[in-house]
Amino acid sequence: MQRMPAPTIADLVTQALATYVALSDLGEGIDDEWSYVQDLSGAWREELDALATARAGVSASDAQAAAIERICDEAGRITDPHRAIDWLSTFPQVVLLALGADEGTAAATGSAAGAA
Amino acid sequence: MRFQDAAPDARAATYARIQADPLVHAAAEALLDASLGERVMARAVMNGETLEPDGWRTCFPTLFGPTAEDATRAHAERVLGAVLAIAERGAGVRDQYRGALVEELTARLLARRAGDAVKRERRILFDGVRAEIHPYDVTVERAGAAEAHDCKWGARGVGADVLHQLDDAHQHAAEEDERLTVGLVVFDAALSCLVRLDAQTAPSAGIDLVTIETLDTLARPRTGASR
Repeated sequence: MQRMPAPTIADLVTQALATYVALSDLGEGIDDEWSYVQDLSGAWREELDALATARAGVSASDAQAAAIERICDEAGRITDPHRAIDWLSTFPQVVLLALGADEGTAAATGSAAGAA
Repeated sequence: MRFQDAAPDARAATYARIQADPLVHAAAEALLDASLGERVMARAVMNGETLEPDGWRTCFPTLFGPTAEDATRAHAERVLGAVLAIAERGAGVRDQYRGALVEELTARLLARRAGDAVKRERRILFDGVRAEIHPYDVTVERAGAAEAHDCKWGARGVGADVLHQLDDAHQHAAEEDERLTVGLVVFDAALSCLVRLDAQTAPSAGIDLVTIETLDTLARPRTGASR
Protein backbone atom coordinates (compact mmCIF):
# COMPACT_ATOMS: atom_id res chain seq x y z
CA MET A 1 0.00 0.00 0.00
CA GLN A 2 1.38 3.40 -0.95
CA ARG A 3 1.67 6.07 1.69
CA MET A 4 0.06 9.41 0.76
CA PRO A 5 2.66 12.14 0.26
CA ALA A 6 2.87 14.65 3.08
CA PRO A 7 0.99 17.86 2.34
CA THR A 8 3.02 20.95 1.61
CA ILE A 9 2.64 24.26 3.39
CA ALA A 10 0.92 25.53 0.24
CA ASP A 11 -1.59 22.66 0.42
CA LEU A 12 -2.45 23.60 3.99
CA VAL A 13 -2.84 27.27 3.07
CA THR A 14 -5.24 26.22 0.31
CA GLN A 15 -7.21 24.21 2.86
CA ALA A 16 -7.28 27.17 5.25
CA LEU A 17 -8.35 29.59 2.52
CA ALA A 18 -11.40 27.48 1.74
CA THR A 19 -12.50 27.84 5.36
CA TYR A 20 -11.64 31.53 5.30
CA VAL A 21 -13.90 32.15 2.30
CA ALA A 22 -16.78 30.53 4.20
CA LEU A 23 -16.13 32.78 7.20
CA SER A 24 -16.03 35.81 4.94
CA ASP A 25 -19.33 34.85 3.32
CA LEU A 26 -20.89 34.52 6.77
CA GLY A 27 -19.52 37.88 7.93
CA GLU A 28 -20.95 39.60 4.87
CA GLY A 29 -24.34 39.03 6.43
CA ILE A 30 -23.77 42.16 8.54
CA ASP A 31 -24.63 44.90 6.06
CA ASP A 32 -22.91 47.70 7.99
CA GLU A 33 -19.64 45.78 7.98
CA TRP A 34 -19.68 44.59 4.36
CA SER A 35 -16.83 46.86 3.27
CA TYR A 36 -14.76 46.02 6.35
CA VAL A 37 -15.26 42.32 5.73
CA GLN A 38 -14.11 42.74 2.12
CA ASP A 39 -11.06 44.80 3.05
CA LEU A 40 -10.12 42.65 6.03
CA SER A 41 -10.42 39.32 4.27
CA GLY A 42 -8.58 40.70 1.23
CA ALA A 43 -5.67 41.86 3.37
CA TRP A 44 -5.33 38.55 5.21
CA ARG A 45 -5.68 36.49 2.02
CA GLU A 46 -2.67 38.36 0.69
CA GLU A 47 -0.70 37.33 3.80
CA LEU A 48 -1.73 33.71 3.42
CA ASP A 49 -1.01 33.72 -0.30
CA ALA A 50 2.42 35.19 0.36
CA LEU A 51 3.19 32.38 2.81
CA ALA A 52 2.03 29.75 0.30
CA THR A 53 4.24 31.26 -2.39
CA ALA A 54 7.26 31.63 -0.14
CA ARG A 55 7.07 28.03 1.09
CA ALA A 56 5.46 26.41 -1.93
CA GLY A 57 7.48 23.22 -1.99
CA VAL A 58 8.04 22.80 1.73
CA SER A 59 6.50 19.71 3.29
CA ALA A 60 4.34 20.28 6.33
CA SER A 61 4.78 18.32 9.53
CA ASP A 62 2.06 16.09 10.95
CA ALA A 63 1.60 18.61 13.76
CA GLN A 64 1.08 21.43 11.26
CA ALA A 65 -1.43 19.39 9.24
CA ALA A 66 -3.32 18.53 12.43
CA ALA A 67 -3.30 22.18 13.51
CA ILE A 68 -4.84 23.37 10.25
CA GLU A 69 -7.41 20.58 10.34
CA ARG A 70 -8.36 21.52 13.88
CA ILE A 71 -8.53 25.31 13.42
CA CYS A 72 -10.61 24.86 10.26
CA ASP A 73 -12.97 22.66 12.29
CA GLU A 74 -13.16 25.35 14.98
CA ALA A 75 -13.92 28.08 12.44
CA GLY A 76 -16.53 25.84 10.86
CA ARG A 77 -18.47 25.84 14.13
CA ILE A 78 -19.07 29.58 13.90
CA THR A 79 -22.62 30.35 12.81
CA ASP A 80 -23.05 33.90 14.06
CA PRO A 81 -21.97 36.53 11.49
CA HIS A 82 -20.64 38.90 14.16
CA ARG A 83 -18.41 36.18 15.52
CA ALA A 84 -17.41 35.30 11.99
CA ILE A 85 -16.04 38.83 11.60
CA ASP A 86 -14.01 38.34 14.78
CA TRP A 87 -12.65 35.13 13.30
CA LEU A 88 -11.70 36.83 10.02
CA SER A 89 -8.90 38.41 12.01
CA THR A 90 -8.15 35.57 14.45
CA PHE A 91 -8.16 32.63 12.05
CA PRO A 92 -5.34 33.76 9.74
CA GLN A 93 -3.17 34.67 12.74
CA VAL A 94 -3.49 31.12 14.02
CA VAL A 95 -2.82 29.67 10.57
CA LEU A 96 0.30 31.79 10.07
CA LEU A 97 1.66 30.79 13.47
CA ALA A 98 0.92 27.11 12.91
CA LEU A 99 2.65 27.11 9.55
CA GLY A 100 5.73 28.73 10.93
CA ALA A 101 5.44 32.18 9.45
CA ASP A 102 7.75 34.67 11.08
CA GLU A 103 5.98 36.03 14.15
CA GLY A 104 6.62 39.46 12.76
CA THR A 105 4.94 38.79 9.43
CA ALA A 106 1.85 40.76 10.18
CA ALA A 107 3.37 42.98 12.80
CA ALA A 108 3.34 46.66 12.16
CA THR A 109 4.13 49.19 14.81
CA GLY A 110 2.87 52.62 14.11
CA SER A 111 0.38 55.31 14.72
CA ALA A 112 -3.28 55.17 13.98
CA ALA A 113 -2.50 57.75 11.34
CA GLY A 114 -0.30 55.23 9.61
CA ALA A 115 -3.36 53.65 8.16
CA ALA A 116 -4.48 56.76 6.37
CA MET B 1 -5.80 69.53 32.53
CA ARG B 2 -6.78 67.39 35.49
CA PHE B 3 -7.94 63.85 36.11
CA GLN B 4 -11.05 62.79 37.96
CA ASP B 5 -12.75 59.53 38.94
CA ALA B 6 -15.63 58.59 36.68
CA ALA B 7 -19.08 59.19 38.12
CA PRO B 8 -20.39 55.90 39.55
CA ASP B 9 -23.49 54.41 37.94
CA ALA B 10 -25.17 51.01 37.90
CA ARG B 11 -23.44 49.88 34.73
CA ALA B 12 -20.04 50.89 36.06
CA ALA B 13 -20.73 49.05 39.31
CA THR B 14 -21.55 45.85 37.42
CA TYR B 15 -18.48 46.19 35.26
CA ALA B 16 -16.32 46.91 38.30
CA ARG B 17 -17.23 43.49 39.67
CA ILE B 18 -16.01 41.88 36.44
CA GLN B 19 -12.84 43.97 36.53
CA ALA B 20 -12.20 42.70 40.05
CA ASP B 21 -12.88 39.04 39.21
CA PRO B 22 -9.85 36.87 40.04
CA LEU B 23 -10.24 35.18 36.63
CA VAL B 24 -9.43 38.47 34.91
CA HIS B 25 -6.40 39.03 37.12
CA ALA B 26 -5.11 35.48 36.63
CA ALA B 27 -5.39 35.78 32.86
CA ALA B 28 -3.69 39.19 32.84
CA GLU B 29 -0.87 37.84 34.99
CA ALA B 30 -0.40 34.88 32.66
CA LEU B 31 -0.38 37.12 29.58
CA LEU B 32 1.99 39.68 31.06
CA ASP B 33 5.14 37.91 29.88
CA ALA B 34 3.49 35.90 27.13
CA SER B 35 4.84 35.43 23.61
CA LEU B 36 2.92 36.60 20.56
CA GLY B 37 1.93 32.99 19.92
CA GLU B 38 0.46 32.69 23.42
CA ARG B 39 -1.42 35.96 23.04
CA VAL B 40 -2.86 34.85 19.69
CA MET B 41 -3.88 31.60 21.36
CA ALA B 42 -5.59 33.58 24.11
CA ARG B 43 -7.48 35.57 21.51
CA ALA B 44 -8.54 32.43 19.65
CA VAL B 45 -9.66 30.59 22.79
CA MET B 46 -11.72 33.54 24.05
CA ASN B 47 -13.24 33.97 20.57
CA GLY B 48 -13.82 30.28 20.08
CA GLU B 49 -16.49 27.67 20.61
CA THR B 50 -14.39 24.79 21.90
CA LEU B 51 -13.73 24.58 25.63
CA GLU B 52 -11.72 21.39 25.42
CA PRO B 53 -8.01 22.13 25.91
CA ASP B 54 -6.62 19.34 23.72
CA GLY B 55 -8.21 20.89 20.66
CA TRP B 56 -6.45 24.18 21.33
CA ARG B 57 -3.14 22.45 22.01
CA THR B 58 -3.40 20.91 18.55
CA CYS B 59 -3.95 24.32 16.96
CA PHE B 60 -0.65 25.66 18.31
CA PRO B 61 2.18 23.24 17.52
CA THR B 62 4.85 25.85 18.26
CA LEU B 63 3.57 25.98 21.85
CA PHE B 64 2.53 22.38 22.50
CA GLY B 65 3.96 20.32 19.64
CA PRO B 66 6.71 17.71 19.79
CA THR B 67 9.43 20.28 19.19
CA ALA B 68 8.25 22.75 21.87
CA GLU B 69 10.57 23.10 24.84
CA ASP B 70 9.32 22.15 28.30
CA ALA B 71 9.42 25.74 29.55
CA THR B 72 7.49 26.93 26.48
CA ARG B 73 4.86 24.25 26.97
CA ALA B 74 4.56 24.94 30.70
CA HIS B 75 3.96 28.66 30.24
CA ALA B 76 1.55 28.05 27.37
CA GLU B 77 -0.41 25.66 29.61
CA ARG B 78 -0.70 28.40 32.20
CA VAL B 79 -2.03 30.84 29.60
CA LEU B 80 -4.41 28.25 28.15
CA GLY B 81 -5.85 27.40 31.55
CA ALA B 82 -6.37 31.04 32.46
CA VAL B 83 -8.10 32.05 29.23
CA LEU B 84 -10.22 28.89 29.08
CA ALA B 85 -11.56 29.84 32.50
CA ILE B 86 -12.80 33.09 30.96
CA ALA B 87 -14.15 31.40 27.84
CA GLU B 88 -16.10 29.05 30.10
CA ARG B 89 -18.07 31.98 31.48
CA GLY B 90 -20.17 31.79 28.33
CA ALA B 91 -20.99 34.05 25.43
CA GLY B 92 -23.31 36.25 27.48
CA VAL B 93 -20.61 37.82 29.63
CA ARG B 94 -17.53 36.94 27.62
CA ASP B 95 -17.40 40.34 25.91
CA GLN B 96 -17.18 42.14 29.23
CA TYR B 97 -14.55 39.77 30.57
CA ARG B 98 -12.44 40.15 27.45
CA GLY B 99 -12.64 43.93 27.65
CA ALA B 100 -11.71 43.89 31.33
CA LEU B 101 -8.78 41.60 30.57
CA VAL B 102 -7.31 43.91 27.93
CA GLU B 103 -7.62 46.84 30.35
CA GLU B 104 -5.98 44.90 33.19
CA LEU B 105 -3.15 43.72 30.97
CA THR B 106 -2.61 47.26 29.68
CA ALA B 107 -2.54 48.66 33.23
CA ARG B 108 -0.03 46.02 34.37
CA LEU B 109 2.28 46.62 31.42
CA LEU B 110 2.15 50.39 31.92
CA ALA B 111 2.78 49.94 35.65
CA ARG B 112 6.14 48.38 34.85
CA ARG B 113 7.40 51.83 33.88
CA ALA B 114 4.90 54.16 35.53
CA GLY B 115 4.09 52.39 38.81
CA ASP B 116 1.41 54.01 40.94
CA ALA B 117 0.78 56.72 38.35
CA VAL B 118 -1.37 54.22 36.43
CA LYS B 119 -5.09 54.68 37.11
CA ARG B 120 -8.30 53.15 35.78
CA GLU B 121 -11.63 54.59 34.65
CA ARG B 122 -10.68 58.25 34.85
CA ARG B 123 -12.03 61.29 33.11
CA ILE B 124 -9.86 64.16 31.94
CA LEU B 125 -11.10 67.69 32.49
CA PHE B 126 -9.98 70.75 30.55
CA ASP B 127 -10.79 74.36 31.33
CA GLY B 128 -13.88 75.57 29.50
CA VAL B 129 -14.51 72.20 27.85
CA ARG B 130 -17.50 70.02 28.62
CA ALA B 131 -16.27 66.75 30.15
CA GLU B 132 -16.64 63.54 28.17
CA ILE B 133 -19.15 61.14 29.69
CA HIS B 134 -17.05 58.07 29.07
CA PRO B 135 -13.90 57.72 31.14
CA TYR B 136 -10.60 56.56 29.71
CA ASP B 137 -9.86 52.91 30.43
CA VAL B 138 -6.30 53.44 31.65
CA THR B 139 -4.42 56.65 32.38
CA VAL B 140 -0.90 57.50 33.43
CA GLU B 141 -1.07 60.57 35.62
CA ARG B 142 2.34 62.16 35.73
CA ALA B 143 3.07 65.85 35.34
CA GLY B 144 4.52 66.51 31.91
CA ALA B 145 4.11 62.92 30.74
CA ALA B 146 0.43 62.07 31.08
CA GLU B 147 -1.20 59.35 29.02
CA ALA B 148 -4.74 58.22 28.26
CA HIS B 149 -5.41 54.82 26.72
CA ASP B 150 -8.57 53.25 25.43
CA CYS B 151 -8.55 49.46 25.22
CA LYS B 152 -10.32 47.26 22.69
CA TRP B 153 -10.61 43.52 22.37
CA GLY B 154 -10.68 43.61 18.60
CA ALA B 155 -10.08 45.88 15.64
CA ARG B 156 -13.79 46.03 15.01
CA GLY B 157 -14.21 47.94 18.25
CA VAL B 158 -12.28 50.87 16.82
CA GLY B 159 -14.77 53.46 15.67
CA ALA B 160 -15.28 57.17 15.17
CA ASP B 161 -16.43 57.78 18.74
CA VAL B 162 -13.25 56.57 20.40
CA LEU B 163 -11.01 58.25 17.82
CA HIS B 164 -12.78 61.58 18.32
CA GLN B 165 -12.57 61.29 22.11
CA LEU B 166 -8.85 60.57 22.05
CA ASP B 167 -8.15 63.26 19.46
CA ASP B 168 -10.17 65.84 21.37
CA ALA B 169 -8.21 65.11 24.54
CA HIS B 170 -4.95 65.43 22.63
CA GLN B 171 -6.01 68.76 21.14
CA HIS B 172 -7.33 70.20 24.39
CA ALA B 173 -4.16 69.24 26.22
CA ALA B 174 -2.09 70.99 23.56
CA GLU B 175 -4.24 74.10 23.95
CA GLU B 176 -3.29 74.10 27.64
CA ASP B 177 0.38 73.50 26.79
CA GLU B 178 0.15 70.11 28.47
CA ARG B 179 1.65 66.99 27.06
CA LEU B 180 -0.85 64.14 26.84
CA THR B 181 -0.09 60.97 24.94
CA VAL B 182 -3.27 59.29 23.74
CA GLY B 183 -3.37 55.68 22.62
CA LEU B 184 -5.47 52.81 21.44
CA VAL B 185 -4.53 49.40 22.79
CA VAL B 186 -6.11 46.66 20.68
CA PHE B 187 -5.77 42.95 21.46
CA ASP B 188 -5.80 42.18 17.76
CA ALA B 189 -3.38 42.08 14.85
CA ALA B 190 -1.91 45.29 13.50
CA LEU B 191 -3.05 44.38 10.01
CA SER B 192 -6.68 44.15 11.11
CA CYS B 193 -6.40 47.43 13.02
CA LEU B 194 -4.89 49.26 10.07
CA VAL B 195 -7.62 47.96 7.76
CA ARG B 196 -10.20 49.18 10.25
CA LEU B 197 -8.57 52.59 10.64
CA ASP B 198 -8.18 53.02 6.92
CA ALA B 199 -11.95 53.10 6.58
CA GLN B 200 -12.43 55.72 9.29
CA THR B 201 -12.76 59.41 8.55
CA ALA B 202 -12.29 60.44 12.18
CA PRO B 203 -8.92 61.99 13.04
CA SER B 204 -6.17 59.63 14.14
CA ALA B 205 -2.94 61.53 13.50
CA GLY B 206 -1.89 61.94 17.13
CA ILE B 207 -3.09 58.60 18.42
CA ASP B 208 -0.64 55.82 19.30
CA LEU B 209 -1.65 52.36 18.16
CA VAL B 210 -0.56 49.38 20.24
CA THR B 211 -1.56 45.98 18.91
CA ILE B 212 -1.23 42.36 19.97
CA GLU B 213 2.25 42.28 18.41
CA THR B 214 3.48 45.38 20.23
CA LEU B 215 1.85 45.18 23.68
CA ASP B 216 5.22 44.96 25.39
CA THR B 217 6.09 48.47 24.18
CA LEU B 218 3.69 49.75 26.85
CA ALA B 219 6.19 48.69 29.49
CA ARG B 220 9.20 50.32 27.86
CA PRO B 221 10.33 53.89 28.45
CA ARG B 222 8.87 56.31 25.97
CA THR B 223 11.48 57.67 23.61
CA GLY B 224 9.74 60.51 21.87
CA ALA B 225 6.59 62.35 21.10
CA SER B 226 3.42 60.48 20.30
CA ARG B 227 3.44 59.04 16.83
